Amino acid sequence: MKRCFSRRLLQPASLLICLLGLGLLRPLLPFARATVDDSLTFALEAIDEYIKAGYTLREDTWGGDLPVGEAKAITHQLFKGNDYWFCMGTDVKGAKISVHIYDGDGNLVEEKSWQKEKEANKGGGAFAGASVKPKRTGTYFLIVKVEKSAEERTPWGLVYAYK
Amino acid sequence: MKLLLNMPVFSRPSLAFVTALSLLCVAPVRAETKDIGGNPPQKIDVSKLRTQVEDVVIPVPSEVFKALDKLGTPPWASEVRVNEKGSTPSVRTHLSLLFGTVVADGFLAVQAKDADKVKKIGRRVLELATALGVRSNVISHTQSIIEAADKGDWNEVRTELDKTQGEVKSAMEQLKDRDYSELVSIGGWLRGTEALTSIVRKDYNADRAELLHQPDLLLTFDRQLNSMNDRTRRDALVAKLQSGLAEIRPLIANADADINKDTVERINGITSDLVRAISPMSATSTP
Repeated sequence: MKRCFSRRLLQPASLLICLLGLGLLRPLLPFARATVDDSLTFALEAIDEYIKAGYTLREDTWGGDLPVGEAKAITHQLFKGNDYWFCMGTDVKGAKISVHIYDGDGNLVEEKSWQKEKEANKGGGAFAGASVKPKRTGTYFLIVKVEKSAEERTPWGLVYAYK
Repeated sequence: MKLLLNMPVFSRPSLAFVTALSLLCVAPVRAETKDIGGNPPQKIDVSKLRTQVEDVVIPVPSEVFKALDKLGTPPWASEVRVNEKGSTPSVRTHLSLLFGTVVADGFLAVQAKDADKVKKIGRRVLELATALGVRSNVISHTQSIIEAADKGDWNEVRTELDKTQGEVKSAMEQLKDRDYSELVSIGGWLRGTEALTSIVRKDYNADRAELLHQPDLLLTFDRQLNSMNDRTRRDALVAKLQSGLAEIRPLIANADADINKDTVERINGITSDLVRAISPMSATSTP
């Protein structure tokens, strides 16, 4: 795992437990410092509904922090025939984040995408997701961005699942 | 939080425990959120993406196997092999490569839905993890692999195989053995590609062959091998590996051209040769 770009920062099984724990503890920790680790738990929370729908979660995760308005590109190999969901999270209250999927030529190829804000009385934080059924096997770009945030740099985490 | 995550007691929760806690404490994301969607640009200039994130993620073999499954009914059973009595190398470089190939064999056994072979491979994974000095990191996952195989819960086996590989790679990275971690991925990719090409060449069509179009992965492997320490790079097997991968790279580089049957045959020949060098089959191996 790397600081600005980290994979395998935490193992999903452990993260899931932590996520579950945070579901109980978050209201008790309103002043907890935002971290990439916490953001990954949000990303895992977001992808959970797809796992329940039969997608397989990958161990590889990404995380880092970004200033508002700056995008980051992640290169990723996708296979025609598979369905993918990428979910991003941050625990920064009032933030808005996004993840979008482009092919190797820079064309937007996602099937669906969404951005959501967690209600403040539920602890705040934000999520984003994007799905793709690649028409070709090859290299794709995931563009992650912090659209809005009160923080100078906003931590984020990204996970993916396939079926 | 890190302390909490590092506590061994949380390393392998039972499914029932996780499910119960999920029901108790996690409301679905959509129930507590409001949509704040935006409109992304339809086209971006990829040449201006300067802040790219390190190397491309190496997919686990099951990602490509699942895609192949949707293009017909591959004869997975004929591709699965179990090298129960195979020798265990003493050199960590070779062990790491072998570990990756055996995990890939596990993913193949899952595709074939062969519980017996999955369990044998799970035990072999544990043997190799022990030789690598990371037994404690994977023992719970290998146990889960065996339990899930007994139940025929193939998605769970896939997840646990991925976790097993992830744990080993993490443990190696924590020990500053990044080279070995990368060799695990390369070993897995080679075995997965050997199986993929073996299936595609027996029943060729362009859609199936297109799954081999992975040029950035080959570039990533080349970068990784070039940046390994001198001792690792001087290893004869690693040198052979680098040479074989360099041979494959131009064969799959052109995104606009179909990968023809001859090319599939060539890639199969190269990957088979490399996998044999990493993992010589013993007389008792079961193909």
